[in-house]
Amino acid sequence: MGPVPSTPATATFRSVAMFRLQGSKVLAVDMTGDAVKAKNGSMVAYDGQMTFKKLSGGGEGIRGMVTRRLTGEQMTVMEVTGQGTCWFADRASEINLVRLQGDKLYVESSNLLATEAGLRTGTSFTGLRGATQGNGLFTTTVEGHGQAALTSDGPAVVLRVSPQYPLTVDPGAYIAHQGNVRQSFQSGVTFRTLLGEGGGEAFQIRFEGDGLVYVQPSERNTIAGDV
Amino acid sequence: MTFREINSKMVEATVVPGQRLFSQRGAMLAYRGEVSFTPNMQGGQGGVMSMIGRRLANEDTPLMSVEGSGTVLFGHGGHHVHVIQLTGDTLCVEADRLLAFEGTLQQGTMFLGSQGGVMGMVRGQVSGQGLFTTTLKGHGAVAVMAHGGVFEIPITPQRPIHVDPQAYVAHHGDVRNKLSTALGWRDMVGRGSGEAFQLELSGSGAVFVQASEEKL
Repeated sequence: MGPVPSTPATATFRSVAMFRLQGSKVLAVDMTGDAVKAKNGSMVAYDGQMTFKKLSGGGEGIRGMVTRRLTGEQMTVMEVTGQGTCWFADRASEINLVRLQGDKLYVESSNLLATEAGLRTGTSFTGLRGATQGNGLFTTTVEGHGQAALTSDGPAVVLRVSPQYPLTVDPGAYIAHQGNVRQSFQSGVTFRTLLGEGGGEAFQIRFEGDGLVYVQPSERNTIAGDV
Repeated sequence: MTFREINSKMVEATVVPGQRLFSQRGAMLAYRGEVSFTPNMQGGQGGVMSMIGRRLANEDTPLMSVEGSGTVLFGHGGHHVHVIQLTGDTLCVEADRLLAFEGTLQQGTMFLGSQGGVMGMVRGQVSGQGLFTTTLKGHGAVAVMAHGGVFEIPITPQRPIHVDPQAYVAHHGDVRNKLSTALGWRDMVGRGSGEAFQLELSGSGAVFVQASEEKL
């Protein structure tokens, strides 16, 4: 018998879009007839043949539509198909590439720029923590195998969370996390905060477990930022 | 090289006697040596007729001429600055994106309607360029401003490039541009992909694109 192929047969047949960074603020995607999902209106240039079609985030079908309506986490996404190179950018923000191998990425919908067609996007409930991040009660999830591009205000750092070393993050600076991570919400509200003498760091998100957290060097406007 | 990029948002220009520079008025940050800045009433080169042309075309960004000997630092509004070297070809750029350019370049105004008639005028409106655009021709360097970094895409006859009108900065070479629309029924019912209009550039040359869809 011949040797068993090391890569699955599907991987050799499927044409895969290549994500690469051109500088730190522009994402170039080389496409050969496949599809890429990107934030609406984020294309800056392309060569070859491309078609743009609007999709809506929050999952597919009627269920997805209901979820979007209810959650307000409606990321307007377009599907780009074609052959050639397409360049994406979003308000001059920095771009980070994330490779997913079957794990789940939680990301703020405003920070998700593009995903490969092989990745599924959905919506998940975050509760009170989401409200303090200034992005509502729901967050976007990305699942599957492939690459995703995240945007951040300033170059993002990737921080590792391990069982021995939990991590605490400012809700306004959090962009995304992946891996087997539990998150909890911490508040440092004391009587000083109520008197208006707070340190400006009244709320934090604590990550425990094993995974990666993406943090940007800038803070969104959050409720927590004011107290 | 007249312009040297100090960092992504600042350029240093070397001024030598007998060689004039033009820059956007108020864009000087610092200078060394004996340099004089004179406001240029005409808003650039050419005679009074050119001035009237520019006024009418609304391409009359206040300019100043820089003369003397020394070095000058230019920057404006925290925008990214990109230096383009011209070797005999023509650069088309919006006047308000011009930070500084060498006096050896010939400045002109181009009516967009002259390239593609009515569609050219529509294109100017959609891309926010207006009906006119500024051209610079000859040998020399130009410093242009953009929101976010600028990257250059070469255009060859076999490889036309499509650019989002809002992200378009400038182009040079023998390039023809036309507005291509991908309007479908989805756009009419408000479900467009946000990419309904594109500038299609074909010919040979290069186009400069910024990493953002915000105007200056």
